[in-house]
Formats: sequence, structure tokens, C-alpha cells
Amino acid sequence: MDLDFTPEQQAFRADIRAWVAANLPEDIAYKVHNGLRQSRDDMQRWAKILGAKGWLGYGWPKEFGGPGWDAIERHLFEEECALAGAPRIVPFGPVMVAPVIMAFGSPEQQKRFLPGIASGEVWWSQGYSEPGSGSDLASVKTRAIRQGDKYIVNGQKTWTTLGQYGEWIFCLVRTSTEGKPQTGISFLLIDMKSPGVTVRPIVLMDGEAEVNEVFFDNVEVPVENLVGQENMGWTYAKYLLAHERTNIADVNRAKRELERLKRLAKAEGVWDDQRFRDQIALLEVDIVALEMMVLRVLSAQAGGKKALDIAGLLKIRGSEIQQRYTELLMLAGGPFSLPYIFDAMEAGWQGDYVGGPQYAPLAPNYFNTRKTTIYGGSNEVQRNIVAQTILGV
Amino acid sequence: MNFEFSDDEQQLSEAVQRWVERGYGFERRSAIAKAGGFSAEAWGEIAELGLLGLGTSEEDGGMAMGPVAAMLALEALGRGLVLEPVAAVALVAASVIAQAPADVRARWAPAIASGEARVVLAWQERAARYRLERVDTQAMAKDQSWTLSGTKSLVTIGDQADAFVVSARVSGAADDPAGIALFLVERQAPGVKTQGYALQDGSRAAEVTLADTPATLLVAAGPAFGALELAADTGIAALAAEAVGAMDKLFELTVDYMNTRKQFGVPIGTFQALRHRIADMKMQLELARSMSYYATLKLGDAPDVRRRAVAQAKVQLGQSARFVGQQAIQLHGGIGMTEEYIGSHYFKRLTTMEMQFGDTMHHIGEVSARMLDTAGVFA
Repeated sequence: MDLDFTPEQQAFRADIRAWVAANLPEDIAYKVHNGLRQSRDDMQRWAKILGAKGWLGYGWPKEFGGPGWDAIERHLFEEECALAGAPRIVPFGPVMVAPVIMAFGSPEQQKRFLPGIASGEVWWSQGYSEPGSGSDLASVKTRAIRQGDKYIVNGQKTWTTLGQYGEWIFCLVRTSTEGKPQTGISFLLIDMKSPGVTVRPIVLMDGEAEVNEVFFDNVEVPVENLVGQENMGWTYAKYLLAHERTNIADVNRAKRELERLKRLAKAEGVWDDQRFRDQIALLEVDIVALEMMVLRVLSAQAGGKKALDIAGLLKIRGSEIQQRYTELLMLAGGPFSLPYIFDAMEAGWQGDYVGGPQYAPLAPNYFNTRKTTIYGGSNEVQRNIVAQTILGV
Repeated sequence: MNFEFSDDEQQLSEAVQRWVERGYGFERRSAIAKAGGFSAEAWGEIAELGLLGLGTSEEDGGMAMGPVAAMLALEALGRGLVLEPVAAVALVAASVIAQAPADVRARWAPAIASGEARVVLAWQERAARYRLERVDTQAMAKDQSWTLSGTKSLVTIGDQADAFVVSARVSGAADDPAGIALFLVERQAPGVKTQGYALQDGSRAAEVTLADTPATLLVAAGPAFGALELAADTGIAALAAEAVGAMDKLFELTVDYMNTRKQFGVPIGTFQALRHRIADMKMQLELARSMSYYATLKLGDAPDVRRRAVAQAKVQLGQSARFVGQQAIQLHGGIGMTEEYIGSHYFKRLTTMEMQFGDTMHHIGEVSARMLDTAGVFA
């Protein structure tokens, strides 16, 4: 048992660090380090830079053009990107739908869709949740009825993150109402430029339109866009969720934000306030403990071992910690976190800040982060899953 | 990066588990607790397992297999709620003896490893709370020899020990770390008085009073405080491992109970309010286990890195131990409150461990004072 990375892994980390330092645009890193608004262009610029290097699909195996890194290498890559202030990779294409297409898609689908995902050219969205299907995802009602060589899709998806930029969307649709809810679901790839697709933004409490409603009104989808077999979509969705879990704890970003919190606390004079400082100390303990738990899981994965039974805990803990650091950042800002200046979330805004430019995003970031314990399977659903594993029933 | 155990470590762990399961059942433990909290017979069995040599090098007559092996052994002892203080003697006191002059080492190290001599650290004082540097016990030098006077509190198996490693002041104010030296005092020496008692968890401790008692210098003032900190950190890492073992077993007992106890015609494990609690207990258990690993793996690091890591681990340990303990009692309902049920003994043991070598609040202060600009296992 040891905590050391091998010399090869250390060299790998150094290479990634040097490459990210040379290739991450400064203006983007500035926004990330300061919690400012990122535009579609910011996110896609970074995606294309990674894509050109072959690293946007950093979790992909070599046979599909990925780097073929193991779990530890992927972690080191994520860590170096996060600490340098790279935006999070928009996951819907490279992290979510791509592994499903690789595992269950036809060779034609792989040839058609994977290159655009790998390069960052095509923006994908996720069509899972519906107004009546949140935690109970298997209850999706969006209907796809086969007519000849097409499906006719009718229904509504919601909470579609960054769907306003989406060019393609992968959807869970109902193709059968027979049997259990899980058995009648199919996994469909839909061109969002198709007639009958309408996207309507939802403004969240931080004032940002981060998510959307997506309406399908007699949308025609060619049957060749069905992934795998009809009515097998639930199986593919579960496979996707397993893939989504790998960096779910997001501990690397937590480390970066803790450093930011310490800087802000010093600037605000609360670093010397023992009551405040102890709260930072507690968060630091939480983050070290989470990192150790992540390393245990990664080490088991890299060693080809069966997934540890603690992997399910990572989403719960990681999301709680994200909420905690955004909360403490806001509290460190004190009363100057309160003025709401929408434009001041924009880098380089030349208007009148109250107090200073550092305060504007603190409260909105805190508001926004309430989502983390809700999305990706609410933490209560996660606890149900953990309990089921523990109790066996 | 590797969290696997070697074959030797695994075998040691299994051997201790076997002994705990076959040789240290609840009835025996209860009898030992009733008889005062320490059994010389059990101590002999532990010595036969080789556990008392875990902190002593082979050349000094021990069988040190490294901190990970020690951690696994303590986890197994923690699962069995073993009262005999293996870590206090074999790891904590031994870590100071290992730094003593050769003749002293030759006399005591092999004796500790074989189980012949029970040596324990005596650092706690009435005014110290959890501060190692607060020492009122005085050391006087006369004709090349030392005598000590003062009172040490809560000394592990104080009235059953053969000798004490004592922190005493040779100079400076009451909280000056540079004026502290470490001495060895034999219990049979003139001027030693002990008053034994039980702790809340059934283990044994004593007040130890020294009056002009002859003592042997182990580590001189200056380096001594570093040695004392290392001894305490070794003790904390050991506590973390033992607590993980105890939490692990208490968690299992609680899961079993949830699956068997019926109310309203169904097992209580079907109720979602309770299911979420057991998920949260699992979380706290695994966070504690992760930090127990962390403390153990950092024991060999530079003192400032080690102290920070160990303080972080103790904060996690304290939070987890309290949560797992309290929730386990709650989930057991009335039976969890009783003396006859083993669960309540795990709870008391975990509570005791939280308050040894610095409680959670103390170590939040330590982490607070030692924070760097960066953070994380790999900062």
C-alpha cells in the first residue's frame, strides 16, 4: 500500500501540465478561476483545442481514436485541467453518448457520429428528464411511433442543460407501453434542426438560462438513428450512468475552489477569524477525505479489480462539497456578495462594481450549485441505491 | 498508488481476526472489564501472536512489518473491542524507546516486543487538556542522575504497567516545548504511586504520582518534543485504525438488525428514513477508513506534513465515530441502550477514542493552524 504515483505517472502528469499551460486560453482560465459566465464559444473553443489533440474523448479506448488511458491517467488529466482553470468538458457528447454508441451503436453510427464528438465540432444535448419524469426516469412518456423507415416523435424533455446550443440530442423515448415501464424505452439520436423541435430556455434562480425545455411535435427521425435494439434503451441508459460516474466527485475542482476560498478569505480578513477559519479547515478535511476515497476507487479500477462498493458514495459526497465551497465563498464575500449586477458576471465588464469585481458571481454560483444534489439522480435516490446494496433488499 | 495489502499483511490481519473471533468473545471481554479492564492472560496470547513486536525493529528483538501491518492488526482488534492496549505499548511507547540510548533500548525494546515488559506513555496532566507541550511534572538532575516529581493522569493500564515513558520539564515555562525531556520510570521505583480505575469503555487507566522518583533519560530536551509528537501521532493513527474496525463491526451489527427486526409486520430495513441513515453511516465509515489509510501512509513523512495529515484524520475519525455510534444506537432502538447488548459497548469505545490524543474540536484547531495555500492529498 502506498500513496505515490509511479515515475511514469509523474512524467505523464508533467506532460499534461505543460500542454495545458501552453494551450489553455488565458481569457477562458480567467473566467473559470473567478466564477464568471462562460459563453458557448468559450466552452467550444476549449473542446476543439482538446479535440485537435485527440483528448476531448480522453476516456475513449484507442480503437475509437481515444488515448486509451487507464483510470489513474484519466484522473491526472482531469486534475491538471481543473487546477489550471480549464472549463469542465461539456459531457453530453464525449462522456455520455459516445460510450453508448461505441458499445451498442452500429458501425455506421460509429462512423457517422464519433468523429464530430471527438473533434468538438458537434454539440450534443441529453434528452432524459421530462416534466413528469425526474428521479423516476423510467416513466418517460415522450412517444416514438414507428411509421415505415421513420419514428414519429411527440413529447417534451426538460432540464436540458445547454440545450440552446445543441445540434443533436440523445433521447429516451417510449416505443412500447407493454410490460414494466423500463421495458418499453428506446435510445434515439435526434437532429435538433429537424422540423417540429422547439427549444425554450428556462431561467434559473441565478438569472442564467442554463437549462431548457425541448418540445417534439411530430418530429420525423430515421430508424437508422435508433441505437441498438428497440425497447432496450433502459439498459443503455444504465450503461451510460455507469460511465458518467467516473469523475462525478469532481474532487479536483474542489481543490481549486478551496484555494480560491483561502485567497478570498485572506483578502477579506476572515482568515484570521477563528470561527470562519475553522469552517475552511473542516472543508479541507472533507476534501482530503473525498480525494482519498476517489483514489481508492481509481486504484481498484486501474488494477482491474471489481468496482469498490464505495463508488456510489462519490456523487453524494462530491455534490455536498461543491455546495459547501460555493456557500463559504459567498459568506467570505460578506455583505458585498449581495448586490446583484447581472452584467458584472461578464469578464471585462466596464461598469460600476459594488465593492469590486470579485463579488458579483459569489451568490449566483452558490444559488446555481443547489442543483448538484438534485441532478444526475438526486442524492436521496443515490442513498436508496447505496442502502439497497448494503441491505440486499 | 496502490491500496492493496501484501500477503504478509493480509496473513497477519487474518490471524488477529481469527484470535478475536475465537478467543475474545463478548463474554470474555465483559469478564475482563468487570475484573478491572486488563487481562494478563489475554496479553500473553496477544504477545504470542507477535503483535507486541509490531513497533520494534528486528535488530531490537521485534517484528516490525511497517505501519500498514500495524494498521490492519489494530483494525482487527478494534472489531473485537479488545481492551488490552496493544497500540499504547507496542507502537506508542516503543516509538520513544526506539530513540533512546543503546543500553536503554537493549534493556527495554526486546522486553516490550516479547510481552515481558508493559511500557506505556504517561503524558496527560491535569492542566494539559490535549496539549502535549503543557507539562508541570518536574525533572531534577543531581550527580548525573535524574529524579521526577509530579502527577500524570489517565495513564493507560497505569497500575498494571512495568514502566512509564514520562514527559517532564527540565526548564522553561509550563508550556514551553523546548524544555521537555522524556524519561523512563519503573513502576516499582521509589516514590511511585498509582491509583487505577476504569474508563467509560471498560479499559483500564491510572493516576501516576511521582515523588523524587529516579528516572532514566530517554530523549533529551530539544529533540524530545518531536519524539513526543511522533508518539502521539503514532497513537492517533492507531486509534483511527482501531476505530475503523469498531465502526465496521458496529455497522455490520446494525445492518443485520435492520434486516431481522420487524415492526408493523415488516423488517425495519424497509423503511426509507432508516435506509438513508444506514447509507449515511456507510459514508462516514468509508470516509474514516480513507483517512485512517491516509494517517498511516503519512506517518513516515516530515513532521509538519505528518502532523497536518494526522490532525485531518483525527477530525474525520471523530466526526465519523460519533455519527456511526449515535446512529447505530438509534437504529437499534431500546435494545441499543442496554448494557447486555454489545452495540452499546462499541458506542462507548468509539466515544472514548474520540477523546483520546485530542478530540475533534482540538484537531480542527490543529488543521486550522496548519493549513497551507493549497489543499489535498496531492496539493
